[in-house]
Amino acid sequence: MTPFQLYNQQPSQIVAPTSAEALAHVLRDASSTGMAVIPWGGGTRQGLGGPPRRYDIALDMRSLADVIAYTPADLVLRVGAGATLGQVQDLLATHNQWLPWNPPLPHQATIGGLLASGATGSLRMGYGTPRDWTLAMQVALGDGRLVKSGAPVVKNVAGYDTHKLHIGALGTLGVITEVTFKVAPRPAHCQTLLAAFSSPLAILEAMNQLTQPPFQPISMVIMNGNASKANPVLHSFLTDKAPHLIMAVRFAGTAGAVGRQIRMGVAVCVEEGAHTIELSEADDSSIWQAIADDLRPTEHVLIRVGVPLSHLRTMLRSVDSIPHHRGWSTEHYLIGGAGLFYARWSVSAIADLAPALAELRAGLAPLGGYAVVEHLPVALANQQPPIDIWGPPPETLTLMRSLRHTWDPAGILNPGRYLV
Amino acid sequence: MTREMLITTLRHHLGSRYVLHRREELMLYEYDGSAMDQALPDVVVVPGSTAEVAAAMATATRLGFPIIARGAGTGLAGSTVAERGGMVVSLARLNQILQIDPQAATAVVQPGVVNTDLSRAAAPYGLHFAPDPSSQRSSTIGGNAGSNAGGPHCLKYGVTSNHVLAATLVLADGHVVRVGSAVSDTPGYDLLAAVVGSEGTLGIMTELTVRLTRNAEDVRTFLAIFDDMEVAGACVSAIIADGIIPAALEMIEGEGIAAIESWAHAGYPPDARAVLLIEIDGLREDIAAEARRIALVCQASGCRELRTASDAAQRERLWAGRKGALAACARIAPHYHILDGTVPRSRLPEILRRSAEIAAHYDLKVVNIFHAGDGNIHPLLLFDLRVPGTRERAIAAGAEILRSCVEVGGTISGEHGIGIEKREFIPWIFNVEDLSAFTDLRNVFDPTGVMNPGKLLPPPASLSSLHASQPSLRLPRRGAWI
Ligand SMILES: Cc1cc2nc3c(=O)[nH]c(=O)nc-3n(C[C@H](O)[C@H](O)[C@H](O)COP(=O)(O)OP(=O)(O)OC[C@H]3O[C@@H](n4cnc5c(N)ncnc54)[C@H](O)[C@@H]3O)c2cc1C
Repeated sequence: MTPFQLYNQQPSQIVAPTSAEALAHVLRDASSTGMAVIPWGGGTRQGLGGPPRRYDIALDMRSLADVIAYTPADLVLRVGAGATLGQVQDLLATHNQWLPWNPPLPHQATIGGLLASGATGSLRMGYGTPRDWTLAMQVALGDGRLVKSGAPVVKNVAGYDTHKLHIGALGTLGVITEVTFKVAPRPAHCQTLLAAFSSPLAILEAMNQLTQPPFQPISMVIMNGNASKANPVLHSFLTDKAPHLIMAVRFAGTAGAVGRQIRMGVAVCVEEGAHTIELSEADDSSIWQAIADDLRPTEHVLIRVGVPLSHLRTMLRSVDSIPHHRGWSTEHYLIGGAGLFYARWSVSAIADLAPALAELRAGLAPLGGYAVVEHLPVALANQQPPIDIWGPPPETLTLMRSLRHTWDPAGILNPGRYLV
Repeated sequence: MTREMLITTLRHHLGSRYVLHRREELMLYEYDGSAMDQALPDVVVVPGSTAEVAAAMATATRLGFPIIARGAGTGLAGSTVAERGGMVVSLARLNQILQIDPQAATAVVQPGVVNTDLSRAAAPYGLHFAPDPSSQRSSTIGGNAGSNAGGPHCLKYGVTSNHVLAATLVLADGHVVRVGSAVSDTPGYDLLAAVVGSEGTLGIMTELTVRLTRNAEDVRTFLAIFDDMEVAGACVSAIIADGIIPAALEMIEGEGIAAIESWAHAGYPPDARAVLLIEIDGLREDIAAEARRIALVCQASGCRELRTASDAAQRERLWAGRKGALAACARIAPHYHILDGTVPRSRLPEILRRSAEIAAHYDLKVVNIFHAGDGNIHPLLLFDLRVPGTRERAIAAGAEILRSCVEVGGTISGEHGIGIEKREFIPWIFNVEDLSAFTDLRNVFDPTGVMNPGKLLPPPASLSSLHASQPSLRLPRRGAWI
């Protein structure tokens, strides 16, 4: 595939600005001539949003990758949006710190791309989302204004928190050029418990218990048999290779606190009929990297579902039945503590996907849930009619449109790829 | 004429009992929690439902009156003061806790619920509302969200914006929308992020879904005593740099210590130059290990003495000193001007020295009682308003101290907000383009500019100076703390 090709579309220009000012200039010009701009980080999440309506300029962000300021004693880091998350984590690790944020493919994905696409990971259970760790941003708005908000200190209420508006906005309000994060000390110890269940009810009950005091897991992911089999690192630890439901739960802190939770966690899982495996500390980071990477883009469609925590069970029943009735194989991932669920379906025709998605959304609506196509593979995108990626818009769409119109008046940023 | 029309229409929508318009009624709404600004609104409404809030707002907007949301009015930046007149919307009657979901650890509340009342209601489930502004016994959840309030325990648990999941928002024209969601990562722009901390300039929140936090298994509280303020400041940095994030890390320095001790009998040595109140919480093994590390860091930093509260009663006593700080300082001088700047934590010693120098230069007393772990300083300038010129000196000294915060890489408000008080300092940190984006956002929510006009952003040069208004004399209430 040629670089910057997106759903078989090619840009007429590739621009890689080396400063935020130069980038803002590119946008100002594009805005006045109506050229459509697609910002590119590592490209790991370009499958979100589907094909653009127009595509003139590929804006390569990877030249804005400098660490601008890092004071370990202040736990604050300021970095160019084109830096990869992996690069940032490697630097933080030299001071025994981290950004508790574990989306897929950190060594390819850039900070700006991850934020713009609203990427999160299982660590949100213990540490919240990047929204909670973002202190300030510099952004080039669609009309070329280079603006900042927030402050490089951990507590600030001056100005509006407009930086948070760009998180998950898919670059449709502006292009993130620089980000200031609060960072955290790394926990002294992390250890993980795997548990294989045969009953869906039992695994949910165990999950429920493992989120009550005294348990304080920092991550919890539940996978179906297909998902665990698709992960070679995880699969290698499973002694019984039968297609069980697998729970991975991670604890952090002093050896004493971690050990106590693992012991009690084993008891809970065994009581619920599970077979448990305690991983060694040495295996901890590789297993979680592998689990995070499970949600990377593949040739299959990936659906993200969100529901209120109180409706988790009902949601799981209804999302299970959809691929089941159609004879599709499906990988399932439930992100603990967040009410987030991912399904990867082996469907190859849009004519099959569209009604399945509609059925899923119809089932979720009464629960207050939603479904988004998190990754749309090229093969599906090239079929007609186009798939509804985002689902029904929120009631605040008018406000959102009017905001977009003031910051990207010519509508040049990722046109046709977002719900606004 | 229009004022009469406003009052008549409002009475029609809300009933006359909840439309206050007599001068003596309005005077109660002239101030906020600071002593620096005052102005009479044209009318105050006390609606009892979202629909009534919407009807009142639509009326005021149609007739061109400013709209000012008011929770408990404890804000310290003048943002509930009706400096251009208009309609104050008191949310005092919307004070119900609608739901607590122990499983999801969330609550649905009306905006007028008092902060501590929510934590009290959540206590039977082992939960609490983490943002704990020192005004928490009177300030409201809506006001906390409107100002994005912080508090001692926000060091570990985050400020209010980290704990609000969704809100029902009434726009200026009476339109009611939902922003945010209790469901994770719903598609669409994160409008809630802009609304929290917007000081009532984007709309009025009439219902909030908030996150509740599980109570910790174990808590330990320490008092670290220092003979030197800068050494104490360096100790704060050393604790954070050691990789410990305490639940709270508060500092009291200067004459305040003796004043507090004689008022609250908290056990603070009156001759100390600075004390740190350090609280850690979590699982018991983690707490034991952190306690050992804190002792080592304090010792290495040159702490005179480290005391540990061994039970809940002793812990309460240590906190009582911190909580009583503001009232206690009234013994030093009758009036105060509280500042609220943030600096990178490693610059604390420097900024403390600088604020002492500036206060001395202006011949004012300064006591620092603040959220040290966050680098959020609260220099309390103490003076006697009866001495001519002191108020002006306090304002000038305050501006200079905040300017110093910006110079060392910090900002002009960590939690109290911009309001009237600090809007003229905004250009120190944001340039014309930054401000244009803020103004755009505001216009999207409030195209006719009636929502708390003039607050939060710097005024056009033509606007008369806020500080020209009459000095107001108010004593801190007993038990107030910052
Ligand atoms: C003694 C004392 C100690 C204090 N300590 C702290 C502290 O530790 N940390 C801290 O952060 N602050 C502190 N404050 C400041 C103040 O208490 C906080 O800002 C608090 O959050 C204000 O709550 P309130 O209910 O009084 O709101 P108000 O002061 O009435 O309003 C605050 C702002 O929110 C807006 N607002 C109110 N309700 C709504 C609503 N429903 N929808 C939209 N906007 C709304 C108002 O217009 C205003 O701009 C202290 C104040 C005092 C007097």
